[in-house]
Amino acid sequence: MTARFAQGWLLPIALIATWQAVGSTVQNPRMPLPSKVVTAFLRMIADGDLPMAIAQSLSRVFMGFMVAASIAIPLGLAMGHVRAIERNVDPLVESFRPVAAIAILPLAILWFGTGTGAAVLIVAYAAFFPIIINTVAGAKRINPTLLQAAATMGLTRMRTIRTVVVPAALPSIGVGLRIGMGVAWTAIVAAELAVGAKAGGGGSGGIGQMMFVFYAYSIELNRIIVCMIGVGIVALLLDRLIRWALRAAMPWTAR
Amino acid sequence: MTRLRIDHATKSFPAANGKETVAVHDVTLDVAQGEFLVIVGPSGCGKTTVLNMLAGLQLPTSGSVILDDKPIAGPGPERGVMFQDYALFPWCTVSGNIEFGLRHGPAGAKLDATARRERVRHYVDLVGLVGSEEKYPHQLSGGMRQRVALARLMAIEPAVLLMDEPLAALDAQTRLILQDELLRIWGQDRPATERRTVVFITHAIDEAVFLADRIAVMTTHPGRIKEVIDVNLPRARNDATRALPEFQALTQHIWQSIRDEAYRATVA
Repeated sequence: MTARFAQGWLLPIALIATWQAVGSTVQNPRMPLPSKVVTAFLRMIADGDLPMAIAQSLSRVFMGFMVAASIAIPLGLAMGHVRAIERNVDPLVESFRPVAAIAILPLAILWFGTGTGAAVLIVAYAAFFPIIINTVAGAKRINPTLLQAAATMGLTRMRTIRTVVVPAALPSIGVGLRIGMGVAWTAIVAAELAVGAKAGGGGSGGIGQMMFVFYAYSIELNRIIVCMIGVGIVALLLDRLIRWALRAAMPWTAR
Repeated sequence: MTRLRIDHATKSFPAANGKETVAVHDVTLDVAQGEFLVIVGPSGCGKTTVLNMLAGLQLPTSGSVILDDKPIAGPGPERGVMFQDYALFPWCTVSGNIEFGLRHGPAGAKLDATARRERVRHYVDLVGLVGSEEKYPHQLSGGMRQRVALARLMAIEPAVLLMDEPLAALDAQTRLILQDELLRIWGQDRPATERRTVVFITHAIDEAVFLADRIAVMTTHPGRIKEVIDVNLPRARNDATRALPEFQALTQHIWQSIRDEAYRATVA
């Protein structure tokens, strides 16, 4: 157990040690080093800047994610269940899907300014596509005899959707939510970086804007790396949280 | 009194080569109120198609299917179906599956939550699933799933029971026990007016003879009815029934009737 654990950490530790050793020979005060990153990390937590920025970004992600899910899930179910709806909506979805979330930034800023509104719109846009595509797939993959069984029991169409189509599609919707949350978190950092640029280092807030300030104004590479690590850790925690929530919501999939 | 009637029904499907595949050809059958009709035949003879037409899940290409003098245009809760692959809802527990039609369909409209639970408890008990109420289908054996499907069908108490090989996946002992149970639930101790009407599909000849008032023997290519046999074994039937010479003779007769085709299907 201990040996396996050590094996797993061998490469990361070696890389960090190499970074520290090689970086120390560089004669430039801005050269980021693991030791400086740790110091910066502790300071940014102590003064509350990092938790604050992450909290603000997270609240935007949750808002945008909720907006995306509340449109994508019902629409996706309707598309998966009714062919006519899918034929009409699918070309729209598929033609907007390749348009990167960040590409709608100009519109988002013009409409919503450089604050939370624009960031939420971009997050919602990014999360929308994986959720709707997986929801459609889940609603279509349903075992047809289950629908027949519901029909022979005299269920109405709406009742069948609620009690058969939705639970049958739920595992697939869950996959969409997980991927959606991942891209939402990716998009928020990009959006805040760009919104931060537009706001000129002003008060748009969030982890991305914080990174922009370290990049464009105070030029602190160690702190940028702290932000990157923070983004990674939060991404991991978000994924674990959503997996746990999905397992709790679907006890029948437990093995 | 005729309850269900299939009148010169033919069902064909478009085949890959552009032609039509005839699944069922010119089938005519009357099922009386309270009758237990069994359809036997080799695989591929269109038994399931006939049942699906009675259920309203498939409509005949030509001919008609009639329930109480009204043409069947779709499925309805007065005709309960037990599917070959059980069609249990994987996200519902055993209780949840049995309660499903009562809770979400018109069959349980007059029942409050307490009455529903009471009904579920009754059928859980009847099919011998006490102690497994909170399990999910994936945690059950094939035989247990089949009992859940049976209990779910019974719980909505439909006037007509349409059963597609409902006992096929059970081991031999359980199968005999559930055959007895089925006759009891059907109402073999009561007069025909108080019995359910049953159309039951099986490939097991002895099962057909044990259960049926009448047996429709089907044959393949295309699926059609070869003969309809009255089973005049006395009711109530029990283990002693299986030992009667008439039981043996009937079983033998039906086997002779379909053996050539069964051999051909097996060897070919």
